[in-house]
Amino acid sequence: MNTANDMPEKMSAETVPVTTGDGDTPPVRVLPDWLKPGHPIKHGGYITNLMASCGHALIMLTRRKRLLMATLIAFLPVLIPIALAFLSNSRFAESGNEVFVRLVENLHITVFTPLLALFFGGMLVAEDIETRTMPYILTRPVPRSAWVIGRFCAFMIVASVVLISSTILTFIASSVHEKLSITNPIDLLLLLHYLGVMVVALLAYGGFAVFLGAFTKRPIVYGIILLYGWQQLATQIPGLVDFFTIKKYIDGLLPVMATQRNVVEIQTALGSFQREVFQVSATKSIVVLLLIMAVSLLATIIAVTRREYAADRAAGG
Amino acid sequence: MTAMIQTKSLSKWFGEVVAVNNLDLVIDEKITGLLGPNGAGKSTFIKLALGLYVPSRGEVRIFGDTPRNNMDVLRRIGYCPETDNFFESATGFEFVYHLNRYWGMGRKQARIAAENACELTQMTSRMHDPIETYSKGMRQRIKIAQALSANPELLFLDEPMNGLDPRGRDEMYSLIQALADIGMTVVVSSHILYEIERITDCVALMFKGSLLAQGRVRDIRDLIDKHPHAIRVQSARPRETAAPFVACSDVTSIDFEDAAFVMRTRDPNLCYEMLNEMMVRGENDICAIECADDSLQSVFDYLTR
Repeated sequence: MNTANDMPEKMSAETVPVTTGDGDTPPVRVLPDWLKPGHPIKHGGYITNLMASCGHALIMLTRRKRLLMATLIAFLPVLIPIALAFLSNSRFAESGNEVFVRLVENLHITVFTPLLALFFGGMLVAEDIETRTMPYILTRPVPRSAWVIGRFCAFMIVASVVLISSTILTFIASSVHEKLSITNPIDLLLLLHYLGVMVVALLAYGGFAVFLGAFTKRPIVYGIILLYGWQQLATQIPGLVDFFTIKKYIDGLLPVMATQRNVVEIQTALGSFQREVFQVSATKSIVVLLLIMAVSLLATIIAVTRREYAADRAAGG
Repeated sequence: MTAMIQTKSLSKWFGEVVAVNNLDLVIDEKITGLLGPNGAGKSTFIKLALGLYVPSRGEVRIFGDTPRNNMDVLRRIGYCPETDNFFESATGFEFVYHLNRYWGMGRKQARIAAENACELTQMTSRMHDPIETYSKGMRQRIKIAQALSANPELLFLDEPMNGLDPRGRDEMYSLIQALADIGMTVVVSSHILYEIERITDCVALMFKGSLLAQGRVRDIRDLIDKHPHAIRVQSARPRETAAPFVACSDVTSIDFEDAAFVMRTRDPNLCYEMLNEMMVRGENDICAIECADDSLQSVFDYLTR
């Protein structure tokens, strides 16, 4: 029920009811000029729609409390090199290069990239389905592809800023150790290489997460099972199963220790054994990762175009 | 000339549930009331008309074209849904603004249109507050604002009076009529007959997914003349006034009230003539005669009985 507070303090001269409701005759109302015929709306093109989607998603993403949480978690690796400098005297801590590489590969690329993809990319479409705001969007003349791609662009901007800034700070923090310098061009190239890998990984993981969000009701749960469960398991199984993971192709882009990666020793309760790992070249890896992104986004666009996302279906109203 | 909305054998079912059943409907009036109880299929029909659902059978055409994913059609449609769902943590202005942007408007145009729409729905003073802080009536207003913001030709309002106080309802009635006066076609759904009667006498009655009747209330009433018409007679001596009608074979029932009675008859013309003669003779202090059937409620009751 409305209260007196709902009523506006003042009303526009254009829209003030001329008479108040009395009996069964509705009051006469004068409408503003913009509502009258002859005031057509100028509709922008595909890029305008894409920008609209991207802008809206950027605002939605940056307002989420989980962004602050994710940023804090993503920045934790920055503290590790500093802590090692003060607390550890192991050989590992003497090499800034090794500290940086381990942190970036084991945390930024293996953990944070899929995590950001799931928590932000996975919710890009899923949130509108959950909050039942899809009917507003689907009744607008916005091309579905522009809407999906715009949202994906917003995800890429936010996730890249978080990951790249964290990686750069980790690089700077790692440079307090020997064998890594922020002025050494080779080390800077290493940093750039990892940043590039991260962006490509975000594209693939993000695309896949958006697809999960459009197709499943629990994208984060399924995503964790697939990206952290299945991917880890697949790398342990002998054979070519790991080709069915995104991680396989991201590993193909990693810059250092490549020769050491083709033989993996697996420790089990029954003993240790070795499995041969078939490497994928960097070029093929990039192609496959971009393909994963493209196919995922295409499937998402098809889903948004074809599926019925309107709310209250069960009500039968 | 192409009808604004036209359906042919339109059906929609969800598993075992038939939401809309073989609907043949043409809507071309400036204001059409879509009427029926909860579960009648009104909202499903609107969602089919908006292209949110794919018909299970048959087809729906808006401006002569299929609406689903049809940007040319969607550009000309406004929609105010029944449910209270909004973008998370958005203000009223942001909600309308972003939806305007999805309409293809540039930033400046979207901002101006959002401000205009908020002003039209008298939400200017609260438009920068989060929607979570809005009352039900204000949420309703902001939903109307987003539907009108791009000045559509065809407007679907699904239960627009929900949550509005009496003054808000009056304003809504006048707004809908004003929109129709400037040429906008408005389809209003409601399960409250009085609301529809206030704004239009052109209705489509739906029940259990089927179209029961369509047209003007009186026309619909004529179509069902096999059902008794109800005539309410106010009189100081209702029993004496009703006595001559007891003998009439076409009068099926007479219900007495304090100073009135309601009779149901298959031949209303005869009863009106008899009442007229009684009044001319000054018998039994008849002070008012009204057709109790003119309300949509009675028509609806007859059709769904």
